[in-house]
Amino acid sequence: MDEYDEMYGIEDDYDQQFADELEVLAERDIVKPTKNPPSPSEEGIENLLRDPPITPKAKRQKQEGGVVKRLFGSQLTDEVTAPMTRSDDITPPSSPEQYASTHRSTPAVLDISGFAAFSQTPQRPAPAAVSASQCVLKRPPLGGEYITVTDSSGNRVYLRQKENTGGKLADPRRILHLDGSLGLLSEPIEVLREQVAERHHQQVVEESQRLSEMLSRGVTEQFGELGGPEEEEEDNVDEEGRRSRLWVDRFSPHHYTELLSDDFTNRCLLKWLKLWDTVVFGRERKVRPPQADRHAQNQNKFKPNQAAENANFKTFKTKSQITEEILEAELDHYKRPKFKVAMLSGPPGLGKTTLAHVIAKHAGYNVVEINASDDRSAEVFQRRIDTATQMKSVLGTNQRPNCLIIDEIDGAPTAAINILLATLNRKDGHGGEEGGESTKKKKKKEGVLLRPIICICNDLYAPALRPLRQQAFLLAFPQTQPSRLTQRLAEISRVQGMKADTGTLMALCEKTDNDIRSCINTLQFLHGRGQRMVDTRTVQSVAVGQKDQSKGLFHLWQETFQLPRLKRKRVGPGFEEGPGEGGGAQRFQHILLLASSSGEYEKVSQGLYDNYLSMRVRDPHMHIVCEGLQWLSFSDQLNQVIMHGQNFSLMRYLPFLSVTFHFLFAHAHVPRLSYPHSQHEATTRLQANRNALSTMLAEIPPSVRSRISELSLTVDILTLLLDILCPKLRPVNPQLFSTREKQQMRELIDTMLAYNLSYRQDRTPEGQYTYILEPRVDEAVKFPGLPPRRQLTYQAKQTISREMEQEKMRRAEHLMMLRNPAAAPKEKVKSTSDPKSSKKNHQQRLENIVRQTTVEIRPEVDFFGRAVAPKPQRLLTSETGEKSVEQSMGTAVGNSDVWFRFNEGVSNAVRRNVYIRELL
Amino acid sequence: MSLWVDKYRPVSLGKLDYHKEQAVQLKNLVQCGDFPHLLVYGPSGAGKKTRIMCLLKELYGAGVEKLRIEHQTIVAPSKKKIEINTIASNYHLEVNPSDAGNQDRVVIQELIKTVAQSQQIQSSTQREFKVVLLTEVDRLTKDAQHALRRTMEKYMGTCRLILCCNSTSKVIGPIRSRCLAVRVPLPSTEEVCSVLSTVCKKEGLTLPSELARQISERSGRNLRKALLMCEACRVQQYPFSADQAVPETDWEVYLRETANAIVSQQSPQRLMEVRARLYELLTHCIPAEIIMKGLVSELLSNCDGQLKTEVTHIAAYYEHRLQLGNKAIYHLEAFTAKFMAIYKKFMEDGLDGLVF
Repeated sequence: MDEYDEMYGIEDDYDQQFADELEVLAERDIVKPTKNPPSPSEEGIENLLRDPPITPKAKRQKQEGGVVKRLFGSQLTDEVTAPMTRSDDITPPSSPEQYASTHRSTPAVLDISGFAAFSQTPQRPAPAAVSASQCVLKRPPLGGEYITVTDSSGNRVYLRQKENTGGKLADPRRILHLDGSLGLLSEPIEVLREQVAERHHQQVVEESQRLSEMLSRGVTEQFGELGGPEEEEEDNVDEEGRRSRLWVDRFSPHHYTELLSDDFTNRCLLKWLKLWDTVVFGRERKVRPPQADRHAQNQNKFKPNQAAENANFKTFKTKSQITEEILEAELDHYKRPKFKVAMLSGPPGLGKTTLAHVIAKHAGYNVVEINASDDRSAEVFQRRIDTATQMKSVLGTNQRPNCLIIDEIDGAPTAAINILLATLNRKDGHGGEEGGESTKKKKKKEGVLLRPIICICNDLYAPALRPLRQQAFLLAFPQTQPSRLTQRLAEISRVQGMKADTGTLMALCEKTDNDIRSCINTLQFLHGRGQRMVDTRTVQSVAVGQKDQSKGLFHLWQETFQLPRLKRKRVGPGFEEGPGEGGGAQRFQHILLLASSSGEYEKVSQGLYDNYLSMRVRDPHMHIVCEGLQWLSFSDQLNQVIMHGQNFSLMRYLPFLSVTFHFLFAHAHVPRLSYPHSQHEATTRLQANRNALSTMLAEIPPSVRSRISELSLTVDILTLLLDILCPKLRPVNPQLFSTREKQQMRELIDTMLAYNLSYRQDRTPEGQYTYILEPRVDEAVKFPGLPPRRQLTYQAKQTISREMEQEKMRRAEHLMMLRNPAAAPKEKVKSTSDPKSSKKNHQQRLENIVRQTTVEIRPEVDFFGRAVAPKPQRLLTSETGEKSVEQSMGTAVGNSDVWFRFNEGVSNAVRRNVYIRELL
Repeated sequence: MSLWVDKYRPVSLGKLDYHKEQAVQLKNLVQCGDFPHLLVYGPSGAGKKTRIMCLLKELYGAGVEKLRIEHQTIVAPSKKKIEINTIASNYHLEVNPSDAGNQDRVVIQELIKTVAQSQQIQSSTQREFKVVLLTEVDRLTKDAQHALRRTMEKYMGTCRLILCCNSTSKVIGPIRSRCLAVRVPLPSTEEVCSVLSTVCKKEGLTLPSELARQISERSGRNLRKALLMCEACRVQQYPFSADQAVPETDWEVYLRETANAIVSQQSPQRLMEVRARLYELLTHCIPAEIIMKGLVSELLSNCDGQLKTEVTHIAAYYEHRLQLGNKAIYHLEAFTAKFMAIYKKFMEDGLDGLVF
């Protein structure tokens, strides 16, 4: 340690000693960088000589060491040129060991050259840096030649080259002499020698220590791992960390050009995202699309199988054209594209999420992702959308605008989707007023969505997504090209040191349905199990690549009714021999897997049932159809047992129905399938008919009701009853019916009432009035294709309807009389018997009224309200007259049943008790 | 009460038109004022209900004719409310438990128990038991029938059961053994004819005997149907003519057309059409068993003798499956397809025989 102290001391000395010179040097560099005296003086040469060692001083000491070495190597003649020409060699030693060695060696060297002090500069850089900063330039000097030096940390500095390269020309002798004369050995040589000896000693000590350590470690290893495990564990953790990183992540694409997915899709999404440039970045729109195109073209050039790709393009040209049109469509008045949301859909593992991320980054966005792992309840969703679309990170370097990616949106609750929709449509609120200056006022309107949103889903037709579908730019994700996928897999396996030929990788792709993630995971799995050689057999035997995903019912039906094509040949030649061979077994397993993963056996069997007859199967003897039906009825029986006995263990036999149907009805053609509605329709109609019947039954009087049931009604009674209800009636007024006809009519009405049927007037859409039977049991017994039953005319129905109403009233009154037999007959008796026995209610009232009006004497007043004195004679006459009037009125009221009183403004002046029975 | 069926229905055992010896037996049965549980069975339209009502009247007097409809609500253990209509007089209660569908067991347990547990107060003037009349017992689920077993024995003191059904094959053995089975067969053609002519006489009409015979054949000796047909004929045309067209029920016509379609062509396409027709029949509330039966009888009439046994055999097979299963349409279609296969093979063999 004293060595170092010494060194410090030396350094200090150096500083003190050379302070002046350093200052001068600095001055020269700064003040007159160009005007160096062309003729070198003694002073100039001195400086010059000192210069090169000083310049790298600002750097690492190791460099310096190198330089110094070089200096000596080149006989000190080219002290200046050496760092200039061989600047490459200055590159620092990469390993610390080397570093140390140079470190140690320097003093020895410097000892000789007399630059000892410089070697210590890195430890005490401060004073040196002052001077160094003046001659080491960060940028190239304006005039004159210079050399560039790059250190290990990548910093580049520029060293000015002195015009005066006389040093080269100067003879070595002189320089040597100069060296000596300069007195560079600031320390006596004895001291330096001592230091060297010390160093040697230290080295020896260190070496011995190391050896003893090694020995002791060997002992501990032998006797038991005391310190070992920790180290090992560390190692393991490291290894584990490296391994636990999924290959999928490690090899996921980071650039647009690395994407494996279909180019057309990529380009469409990118184009769509570029449409936002106007509003997000304020760029003009027209500039961008060509660039995107160029990208895609580049991409195309890279592709090995361009031909195949082109062919593919043609097949969905129409669809692509539609998409292009969408992309070319005008921006709305906020300069946003028409569709605010892009929706990527496709089966898992094709790289939808990766595509979205890569493209968003490519287009200069900061990606904000919401996926199923986040809470997606309505409020949280709202908050996150607002955060993502309306804010921008202020801190940090990430100043780019956000692009919201909503992953796995098909699992989101409907409320969340509605919120998203509301966000999309929010513009409409302010839309009208703002108009053209929207870009200017962008800041003000917080509500408007101004950032792109990309949604990703597997099932585009999830019910919750229905409203969103109409407002989204839909991009269906096609299958990855197996060739491209294989290529990528080959790359990965090469990097990981696995051997796999293309055929194997193709088989893997096929097995996983070109699911990139699944392929890579399978590879990693195999790798992790220590398999470095992968062949087709392993791939086929491994069960990991298969997904237990449920595809749509239509997919299942299609698979069931369609023979797999072409690839059979590769799998095995046994296919042609019969379905029982290898190919058959595979198909069996395939369909079984599909059917059991779908789970909706009821729906599945219904779909099979509805579609199997339209399959193109050669079946002249109907044996296949019989077989299929046998299976259907078996599965129905199973279902019944399962449901009735709760015996769900039998459920495992249900998927075999699909398998059987596959072997019975599968055909090479693409089947045309329809969704099974028949059962549902049948149930609905059955229910409607049932309801009509039960409405009818509910009101039938008990004496009839006890004799009929729903069953007998439909099977026996109803049709005939409806016939009976349509007798031939003369189209005349019922008053003119003969007694026989009247009798018939009465019976008809009786029957209708007994069976709770009636006619209701209804208006057809054409505006005509008809009478329809209520409840609509005629619908329940009418069959299509049969000759229509005889119907009554409108007039006849009208007549019947009216007569029925009357009959109903009659019966109701009759019933009322029966219910309170005290009131009705008594009144009847009274009205027929003499009226004098007791005064009728209304007569009493009437007499009172008469008396009140007539007897009441009002004081007469003239026009001005003064009382008029009544004349005595007139009063007399009036008195007698009044009496007679009163009496005559009273008797008249008493004698007649009809009476009237004029009430001003009231129309019911004439009152009389009238019974229904008297009118009918 | 103006349909002839209702108007001229006999109301006492003595006035019954046919099976008079049975009527006498029934009269003797209730003469002592008591009777065992009864299981009355027979085809539809034979007069089961008429006989039961006559029996009750014999037992209780005219009081049983004062009927009222009661809407009962029963709460199942699963808290589900079951609404059911009952027809009751002071002396009896008529229930159709199969109205409750799968929950009929609850109806049996709750309703019958409440009726059976209540005792008559004045047993001196009245019978000491009430009668519960259960209709359509053959449509009861097995659970409900098992629920009935113990109830029948336990409440024998206060309650008699009269079970009414079309066929005993669906009634479990324990119940059959607890009841006195009374079979009410269909009236013979002559009996139907005589009933028809009596009714027409009462109506003041003259019915040609040919027409009466024709009606009774068309109705399949189902008296209810025969009377309705007769009345429909009357509405159609009066005075009657002997060769008058007898109106039929629509579904029978439709079924016959379906059978003809099956016989005329056998192919998957035709099967598809037949399926649509079968669906149509099912949606019109025609029970699958009746469709099956009608189909078989229509098809058999088109078959050769040696084919008949085979067709009957497969019909029985698929009818059984129909009972076990749930979706009637599968089994009906399976039967149709099987028939098509057999028929087609038979016809082709016949053609080959002709050629060689």
